[in-house]
Amino acid sequence: MKPLLWRSMLRHLTRHPWQLGLSVLGIALGVAVVLAVDLANASARASFMLSMEQVAGRATHQISGGRQGIPETLYTRLRVDLGLRDVAPVVSAYVTVGADNAPRSDDHPGDRGELYQVLGVDPFAEAPFLGYLDELSEAGVDLNAFLTRSGAALLSRTLGRSVEVAAGSTRMTLHAVGWLQSPALQHLIVTDIGTAQDLFGKAGRLDRIDLILPEDAQGERLAQSIRALLPDGFKLERTATRNQATVDLSAAFSLNLTAMSLLALVVGMFLIYNTMTFSVVQRRGLLGMLRALGADRRELFSVVLGEALLLGLAGILLGALLGLWIGSGLVHLVTRAVNDLYFTLNVREYFVTPLSLLKAGGMGLLVTLIAAWLPAREAAAAPPGAVLSRAALEARWRAALPRLSLFGLLLLLLGFVLLGFSSGLLAGFVGLFLLILGCALLTPVFMVALVRVNQGLIRGLPARMATRDVARHLSRTGVAVAALMVAFAATVGVGVMIDSFRGGVAIWITDLVNADLYIAPIALESGDDTQTLNPAVVAGLRTASGVAAVSVYRRNSVEIGGRPVTLLAVELAPRAKTGYRLVEGDPETAWRAFEQASAVMISEPLAYRQGLRAGSRITLPTAHGNRTFPVVGVFLDYGSEHGRILMQRGTYQDAWDDKAISTAALYALPGVDLARLREELLSCVGAVQPLWLRSNRDIRKFTLTVFDRTFTVTRVLRLLAILVAFVGVVSALMALQLERAREFAILRATGMTAGEVGWLVSLQTGFMGFAAGLMAIPVGLLLAAVLIFVINRRAFGWTLPFQVDPWILAEAVLLAIIAALLAGLYPLWRMARTPPAQALRSE
Amino acid sequence: MGKLSGSVVTGFVAYLLIAVALVGIQPDGKSVRQVIPVSAALNEDSLQGYARAYQPRPLVFPEDHGAHPDFRTEWWYATGNLAAEDGRRFGYQLTLFRIALSPNAVSGASAWHSRQLYMGHFALTDVAGGQHRAFERFSRAAVGLAGTRARPWKVWLEDWSFTGTDEGGFPLRVRAREQDISLDLTLEPLKPLVLQGDRGLSRKSDEPGNASFYYSYTRLNTRGTLEIEGRNQAVQGQSWLDREWSTSALGDEQSGWDWFALQLDDGRDLMFYRLRRRDGSPDPHSNGVLVAADGSVRHLGSQDVRLDSLGSWTSPETGDRYPARWRLRVPRADLDLTVTPRVADQEMRLSVRYWEGAVAVAGQAAGQPVAGQGYLEMTRYEAPF
Repeated sequence: MKPLLWRSMLRHLTRHPWQLGLSVLGIALGVAVVLAVDLANASARASFMLSMEQVAGRATHQISGGRQGIPETLYTRLRVDLGLRDVAPVVSAYVTVGADNAPRSDDHPGDRGELYQVLGVDPFAEAPFLGYLDELSEAGVDLNAFLTRSGAALLSRTLGRSVEVAAGSTRMTLHAVGWLQSPALQHLIVTDIGTAQDLFGKAGRLDRIDLILPEDAQGERLAQSIRALLPDGFKLERTATRNQATVDLSAAFSLNLTAMSLLALVVGMFLIYNTMTFSVVQRRGLLGMLRALGADRRELFSVVLGEALLLGLAGILLGALLGLWIGSGLVHLVTRAVNDLYFTLNVREYFVTPLSLLKAGGMGLLVTLIAAWLPAREAAAAPPGAVLSRAALEARWRAALPRLSLFGLLLLLLGFVLLGFSSGLLAGFVGLFLLILGCALLTPVFMVALVRVNQGLIRGLPARMATRDVARHLSRTGVAVAALMVAFAATVGVGVMIDSFRGGVAIWITDLVNADLYIAPIALESGDDTQTLNPAVVAGLRTASGVAAVSVYRRNSVEIGGRPVTLLAVELAPRAKTGYRLVEGDPETAWRAFEQASAVMISEPLAYRQGLRAGSRITLPTAHGNRTFPVVGVFLDYGSEHGRILMQRGTYQDAWDDKAISTAALYALPGVDLARLREELLSCVGAVQPLWLRSNRDIRKFTLTVFDRTFTVTRVLRLLAILVAFVGVVSALMALQLERAREFAILRATGMTAGEVGWLVSLQTGFMGFAAGLMAIPVGLLLAAVLIFVINRRAFGWTLPFQVDPWILAEAVLLAIIAALLAGLYPLWRMARTPPAQALRSE
Repeated sequence: MGKLSGSVVTGFVAYLLIAVALVGIQPDGKSVRQVIPVSAALNEDSLQGYARAYQPRPLVFPEDHGAHPDFRTEWWYATGNLAAEDGRRFGYQLTLFRIALSPNAVSGASAWHSRQLYMGHFALTDVAGGQHRAFERFSRAAVGLAGTRARPWKVWLEDWSFTGTDEGGFPLRVRAREQDISLDLTLEPLKPLVLQGDRGLSRKSDEPGNASFYYSYTRLNTRGTLEIEGRNQAVQGQSWLDREWSTSALGDEQSGWDWFALQLDDGRDLMFYRLRRRDGSPDPHSNGVLVAADGSVRHLGSQDVRLDSLGSWTSPETGDRYPARWRLRVPRADLDLTVTPRVADQEMRLSVRYWEGAVAVAGQAAGQPVAGQGYLEMTRYEAPF
């Protein structure tokens, strides 16, 4: 009996290859997206750890400090006087490769080149530190040349035998004396420490000293004796603490991506449910027969579940392959976003971990089981011998509709309550999913309502038949439309969120960057923030003709709650102040206190994270110990999720003993030709120091470019969700129409032409697509609101404006209708080919 | 190893640098695959531009105790047998090698640029404990990490150093620390310096310039402290110091060498190195000296010394098979000696592998029993592949 039972059931699947294929594809896409995102996240994280290991090596501690770096004599003392063995000097900074030589201007923004990290090491000190160098065992690396040839370097093969790099105004040609073999090391260049010092103009200085100290009392004693040697302003700290802090920073980013991928899986779950319900309903006759032949309920239950598992497994296998492929593309987007947002990863490898595969596979299986549970019970409930009546099933559905809708409302309520009364990011996501599920459960009732409205509005038999049919077959149409609705709502929600975010950033950057020209030392742009403007340059700017006002900025970093918060010491021109939009605090009094009473202003993310408001006080670690400053304003800022502090330069100088200036911004007198002014400035102050002079347009453009790059990955995920939805529509509706071949045959036998039936089918699927698209709009907007006001706020601490581009909404409806219409094509084509008599016989 | 022929020396160094490519030493003494692979740091065509030793020249001290940077290789090589107050015996070896990476200065503003590389080997043999521990380190001669100074002369590689304490160069302080070992010795010559070869010019082959400058202090009174495993103890004994510098090429025919530095209790010292040729025949450039108690020197050619290995010892770690003991005869001086390692395993398992260790000497001199001590070096006994 058993094998026969299985065979009879499976036979059904093989006889419906389209249905089979599409449902496998559905789950495959869901699993693929989850896997791809997980792999991309895991890879970004692993890349980060590797990057850290590269730069920090296996060091347990490191010595850092001093804006100008560490005197190398300190290293000699550690090794020779203190006799430390596991200690290594590092000079490390960034160079650009492939930047063009032409001066930058508005008309010629120039190719900024690609950033590479140069790691200057002493090969004799590195042995215990750098794990990755194990991989460099390729013969032919010439240590002699590495140490003695000018410009010698270990390069990634993609750079070729020699490459010109630029560090600020210094250009140097590096020659490969060996290759960094691992593809993971693509954005790294290793040179001798001497070469790196020459390249970065850091003779006599180190950026870091790495140490491996034992984890015991002796290590503690060593740490004590090292600290005793350190001059003021330098610190010995554990590398683990440093790394962990940075890993946490990107957690919010990863969580966002994961949530997006889970959304795709939820859509996949609807698809499986749809397929299984459908296949059970289709076989109601067979099931009744099997019951009559002696199969018991448990057997039928497990057969249907087993069938679903089989489909699930096939989908998971296919999804794994697909996910691996998508992931390899996604990882580049994710690491690039991480690079733009957080830190430069010089490792960009695609790590495929068994854990990711297991997670995605397990998730796929779980979702399959959950989705198949109800249909399996349905099958088991088939009365022996009797044919499970479709009408009875639909009646049960209609009867369950109020309960279903009530449950949906309950979930919605629960979601709102959770969002309203929690503060964590994870709770935010849970709330979001509750809202989505609740809306999905409300879809059928919405559809019934839509059909009723429709009935009153439209004329013509086919149209009325088509729409009424949708409501009549709620058991399948309801689920299909719910799945489509969720998928399209997700794309609407994410689309609106990105648009709003971009709009907010555009306004913010336009307000903030309102000076005519911005001036920075060239090296600052290459990531070397120790470079400052020569005082002669600043004086030159202030006295240049045509200049109305100058703002100067000094950037420093302070640690608050384990996060690096940017401290901006400023002397602002009057117009520069108007660029800061205060979300808290009265501008007039705030700016007065800022300039006269050592008060500070803080950015919104910092205020949110630290629970600060205008009127609070903030304690900062200054050069003279901790000092407390009054907070007089909170300004809108998307520049840093960690937060920024604005401080009057005089206040800063007193507390940090730092008179330097990092950048300046300049306001021209009305009527001054900016291009001319720029040329004049370049020729006078540019002679003192190599400088970048950029226009506000240039900076705004660059900001938005980075923004768009960062969101590429989100856009890709959105497209994937659309793809899943598309496949979902096609699979659900096509199956629905195929199943009704007999019905159509009857219609044709009773006198309808093939064209009229085709019209009917197209109307029906089009209506379902329209319904899904229509409902996706309010649900999508709700989703967008949650993403903007809850998720973004909790993840990054900033508020975004709510902007809706109507095109995004129209796009969802249009796509849904197109997909639905496409779904009707194959059944139509088949129907047109089959004479009604044969179609009638075949059942 | 001041005892090596110039060509072998260069070969050794070239071999060594290639070996560095494959092996590094971690703090726990475990070998790991290293790091920036080194190869051909010294290739055979790169002799050009370096100074060569063509003819004897008067050596001037303390200047010549210091570095000769225009020659490609150079070393300061101290070995010795010590005893603590409680009678425990120890052997030590501290060698600092200087290796020029290029005949030309390296350009650039950074102080790290240097064309001189220093390598150090430090070993301690605990005779009673039957233990031998060996360490290695490298550094460039830059930013004070390693280098030499002539007056008062000092050679150092981090905290391993030879420091002269007055104008003449002696007494010489020898210091080395590694892990739980800390050695601090003061060396005072008991005999005048010995110029090896022809007035300090030691020819390694018939080719002009294939020679080294080479001198030795064959017997130095040694006192100081040795701290090991947390126990600080006074030690005394006798040391041997070799100095050699050269720019020479490897002789293809030479396969390895055995070097003896023996101090007999009748006051005589014997140095002899035998070069082994690949074809098994004795190399005519094998050479040595016999230094009398009063410091007078008799040079020994390869035909003056008969060497026989007795038995063999196989390294359990590497599988290399070394002679277990030696019989060394100098018929012209009526010497018949047996040389026995104080500990069988004194293999230096560093980036280059060799056996170097403290030995006991027993035998007969002109029919009378004679005893002694010294150091023995045996290289290239790799097990056949």
